[in-house]
Amino acid sequence: MLGKQWLNRYASTDMRGTAIERSQNRQRKLDGIVAWYFDHMVGSLPLMLQAALLLLGCALSRYLWEIDTTVACVVLGFTSSGIIFYVFIVAAGAASESCPYQTPGSNALRYLRPEVQRMLRSAATIIASTFRDTFRKSKTVRTIEMNVRCYYPWWSGDKIKPFLNDMILEVPGALAADAYHLWATMVRLLASFPPGVYRLSSTIVTPLVSVVRWVHNWSHGLEQGSVQQATTLDLRCISWMLQTSLDKAVHLSTFNHLATMITITEFDPTLATSCFNAFVSCVTVGFSNREVVIMQGLEQLATVSALCFFNTISHLLVMDPASSVLEDVRQRYLRVFPAQADFHCHQSYHTVNAARCLLVRWRERQFFSWSDYKPSTHEQTMVAHNLATVARAEFQRTQRVKIPRLILRFALHSLSLYPPPLASIVADCLSIIAIDLGCDMSDTGTTTSDERYVHVL
Amino acid sequence: MDQVSSQITQKLNTIVGAEDRHSIRSKRKTINALLPYAVWRERDGQPEMLDAFLCAARASGTSEFGWSRVRQHVGAPLSKATPRAVVLASPHIQWEFLADRGDLVRRWAAATSAVPDTEEVVQSVLDTLFQVASQDALLPHIPANVWSWLAKKPSLPPVYWGRDAGAHLHVAKAVRGLGNIKIIKSYFLLVWSEWDYLASGGFDESRASIREDFGGVGDGCHRAELIQHLDRVLAQLDRGLEYLQQHNPNPGERNFRMMKDQYRELKEILLETNIGAVARESYPTMMRIRMLTQADMLGSRVTFMCALPP
Repeated sequence: MLGKQWLNRYASTDMRGTAIERSQNRQRKLDGIVAWYFDHMVGSLPLMLQAALLLLGCALSRYLWEIDTTVACVVLGFTSSGIIFYVFIVAAGAASESCPYQTPGSNALRYLRPEVQRMLRSAATIIASTFRDTFRKSKTVRTIEMNVRCYYPWWSGDKIKPFLNDMILEVPGALAADAYHLWATMVRLLASFPPGVYRLSSTIVTPLVSVVRWVHNWSHGLEQGSVQQATTLDLRCISWMLQTSLDKAVHLSTFNHLATMITITEFDPTLATSCFNAFVSCVTVGFSNREVVIMQGLEQLATVSALCFFNTISHLLVMDPASSVLEDVRQRYLRVFPAQADFHCHQSYHTVNAARCLLVRWRERQFFSWSDYKPSTHEQTMVAHNLATVARAEFQRTQRVKIPRLILRFALHSLSLYPPPLASIVADCLSIIAIDLGCDMSDTGTTTSDERYVHVL
Repeated sequence: MDQVSSQITQKLNTIVGAEDRHSIRSKRKTINALLPYAVWRERDGQPEMLDAFLCAARASGTSEFGWSRVRQHVGAPLSKATPRAVVLASPHIQWEFLADRGDLVRRWAAATSAVPDTEEVVQSVLDTLFQVASQDALLPHIPANVWSWLAKKPSLPPVYWGRDAGAHLHVAKAVRGLGNIKIIKSYFLLVWSEWDYLASGGFDESRASIREDFGGVGDGCHRAELIQHLDRVLAQLDRGLEYLQQHNPNPGERNFRMMKDQYRELKEILLETNIGAVARESYPTMMRIRMLTQADMLGSRVTFMCALPP
């Protein structure tokens, strides 16, 4: 009932507002479910019932044993059968993932099995050898053995008394010495335990630590009330929507929202994959194996998804250039588009090509020209910001040699436009040049991401 | 934004101040990417960045400082820039890739008439003039009055892209086509230099011009000036290649030898032309003496005096 109550609260539409606000609310709830290990909690509720049933069976058997053994045996038999059945399904579930009789216990066992096996094996070996050694060197055993030999036959009438006397005097001291020895051995044993044991403990402790950390972050976030948290929430929401929905209209509105976000941080790298998937689903390579054609009716989605693809790829290149997602997208890109792919039909031709150059590190970079690039102000703002960020990262990566010429050419193009572009674009272009000249950009008054938002909006 | 701009300007000045040609050349494209923005700033009354750019271009010590990509983006800045910015930025545009931009040539020509002729401006105007004139497609767009800048006779720096471009056949023909002996002489005074050899077409045209344009009886002073200039050039060349390369690293051993041969030959032709001209000049005098003698003898002096040249 408790679980039902919780799930009802999750499923309820307790908030009015725009689609974005409601999505944010849903995402917030989903994040809470993940962070608070809701699935484990709900899974443990039947466990409590099962434990209660077991206790009832045990207590009933114990109670009936004193009243009527026969009835008690029947109850005990049922309880035992239940326990055996439960142990069996736990073992079966742990042994095979495809077994339909899965329980929380079997999941836990399967999760811990390799660690437990390794730990038990090594612990058994160490403990056995340690105890064997301790027993062999035991002072108590040697004292008893010596007294038995000395007073043999010790059970005879005249020897029993001095034998017991000596035993009482010597054995406690020997026991104390053995206890000390055993303690020292145990400490050494713990110190020499294999790392698997500590890994095991860490796997148990880590979720607890993450819960504590989440609670800390949550409270800290409440204090800050920052925009960044909302952006992160939005990005997770967008990621979820793109992964779960197949509706093009939903994709379009989601991409439109994503495209308004110039600066994206702490996003799930698979968002880049989603953007790429959406972009690829809008275009097709022509018969000449060169010209890329946009499918009819998907022009808008193709444009906005290409922009978002460029945005996410640029950020990923800066955040984690060695990302496996990036490599995966790169490989897929090479498989989908031929080397001579021509995107001239695309409205954001330059942005698409820039994304290709950044992603695939194409030699086309050398020949790439921005001369007839006339994007919307928003697109240009995004491209300028991303290229400036990539330039900074590339300049650091190449140990202060040069930024990619593609980016420098963009700066040249944007700085020569009339009427001049937005101040934020000019600032980004100037920062590109300043970076390449080796200026220290740490204390410059370039526009912040918030200012960019203001410009764009 | 202003802070970044001033930071960039400072950085450029630092690089130029360090006199490290290698570092300037290695950042050639980056510095060139600034040119349009520097022109905009100059228009807004902030010429510091443009000045820093020009200093960097001069300090680079190479005539190939420009970046070919800039040509695609200079249209808007040059059409809106101040005359000073147009004149000073034009030499760094690489006009050989702008064959279809006659409008830019006209804009530049208009700007030249609106700027005071300082040393820097004259050098820039002539640099651009030679570059533009060396392009067949752009040559017709140069107004005739712009050629008069040649007569200002500025001292050109050792590394000067325009001198090389100006020595081409088209330019020499265009200058000769003006028919103004003073401008032709000024042109040769600028183009004949110890820092550059003459392209084969330009060299042939120079030889033809000496014979055809400077062979006149009354051109003695022009010939004398050209001979004096060639003497100075040859004297500089006699100081050796190492000496020249201290100021201009471009000429190699082969070019050095070619320059010597070319200028010696030009001097010889000039001397020959001069001797011929002197001979032609002295021929009527001899004739007059003979005639006067005959007139005295005949007693009709007045008639003969009227027939003599003034």
